[in-house]
Amino acid sequence: MDLITLAEVTGNLSAIGYGLAAIGPGIGVGIVFGKAIEATARQPELGGRIQTLMWIGFGLIEFLALLGFISGFIFTA
Amino acid sequence: METFAESKSGIALFLPEDYDIIWSTVILIVVAIFFYKFFLPKFQAIFDERAAKIEGGIAKAEKAQADADAAKKKYEDQLNTARVDAAKIRDDARTEASHIIADARTKAEADAAQITANAQKSIESQQQQALVSLKGEVGALATALAGKILGSKLSDADVQSSMIDSMIDGIDKDPAGKAK
Amino acid sequence: MAGVAAFTGAAGAVLAAQSGPEIPSIDEFLPPEIIFAGTPFAMNRIIMVRVIMTVVMLLILGITASRAKLIPGRWQGFVEWGLDYVRDKIVYEVMGELRGKRYVPMITTIFFTIFLFNLCGIIPGMNIAATATIMMPLIFAAWTFVQYWIAACREQGLLSYLKQECTPPGVPFPVLILLVPMQLIDILIIRPASLTLRLLANMIAGHLIVALCFSATQFFLILTENKMMMAAGVVTFAFGFIMTLFEAFVAYLQAFIFATLSSVYINMSYPEVD
Repeated sequence: MDLITLAEVTGNLSAIGYGLAAIGPGIGVGIVFGKAIEATARQPELGGRIQTLMWIGFGLIEFLALLGFISGFIFTA
Repeated sequence: METFAESKSGIALFLPEDYDIIWSTVILIVVAIFFYKFFLPKFQAIFDERAAKIEGGIAKAEKAQADADAAKKKYEDQLNTARVDAAKIRDDARTEASHIIADARTKAEADAAQITANAQKSIESQQQQALVSLKGEVGALATALAGKILGSKLSDADVQSSMIDSMIDGIDKDPAGKAK
Repeated sequence: MAGVAAFTGAAGAVLAAQSGPEIPSIDEFLPPEIIFAGTPFAMNRIIMVRVIMTVVMLLILGITASRAKLIPGRWQGFVEWGLDYVRDKIVYEVMGELRGKRYVPMITTIFFTIFLFNLCGIIPGMNIAATATIMMPLIFAAWTFVQYWIAACREQGLLSYLKQECTPPGVPFPVLILLVPMQLIDILIIRPASLTLRLLANMIAGHLIVALCFSATQFFLILTENKMMMAAGVVTFAFGFIMTLFEAFVAYLQAFIFATLSSVYINMSYPEVD
């Protein structure tokens, strides 16, 4: 740290990028599971079908977070 | 602090090495063959055997239940038959008794009727007898009485008998009307 | 979190022999080749762990299966419970018994293997998940991928499957312009890629967190001369302990998610009946 640099942040900006990228999928996954629980509570007899649909949605949403994860490694240059 | 620039590039994480490909494939094939050909069939056989045992036990229990049911049914049938028989016997006895009573009543009535008829008959014959004897006595009495009153005027036999007859007819008519 | 905060606060202040704890990096997942280096059969640390775990798994399960009795003992009961769990709670729950029967062995293989390989991450001496290089998750995902395309071709034909996936009923034409490419990308790339990356990313992240906690603990308790740092070391140790338990849970959870999603994708290849 020299005299001109008053504050220094070390590390990789990708971490912040991933933090931002995780917000959306985080909310999305929360909504998916919350709604699935709600729906199952209302219609317990449809539980199996709701769970299947829930996993499909979860897979799609989770992929966004995973994209964020890998882009941190891929776009480092 | 280490940065990613110093270490290997992060993208290497997602680019498989050729030895990685080989070992992963080999391991997957070995594991899959193990599960498909040995592990799961073995446990499936055990599950099936267990299911068969349990089903055998259930079948045995069901057979015992069926036997018990059959025995119960037989017993109940017998009971029912006995009950029906008893009822029939009772009915028969009742009918017979009523027959007997009816017969006895008919016979008694017939007897009574005969006795009554006999009594009637003897009464009638006695009445007839009494009537005949009375007729004779009343005639004699009247003849004697009239003879005493008229003296010898009525000595002629023809006149005498005709007069008695007309007199008796008059008597006969009168008391019969009064007696009824 | 407290441990990490203490660590970052302390890291600047300490002027010991070492400038700070050894931060684990992704190099842990790109270890050097140690046997047969340079040949296609080279093995690095992770592959060693993977091979050892495979041998151990086959031995344990093989012995269990060959000694299996009609009346299960405690261990056999536990293994059978696992088998029942995969069959009833994953395969039959998603696909129903009629369709699911064919896929029970596949999903069981996937679930057991991934679960045990994930557990390597917290087994002392191994300390890295055997699924933590890209190929192991990728090959499971490829298996699922192949299976659901085969199921699609067999059960309703390729064109009918593409029509069912790409053009859901009741969608107006302009939307289809967007929807068809998206669905094609989904069934061709996103499904296998998300299966692969989810598992890999979870294993990498889990290992990094646990390794960070324990390397910080080692630094605070042993390497540093400042005795005031001991307290921070205790905190990081506790945090590392909790994260280790959490990793055990994640090992199960990722195996469950992988198996469930495989069943779901295969089930979606079947024609829809309502």
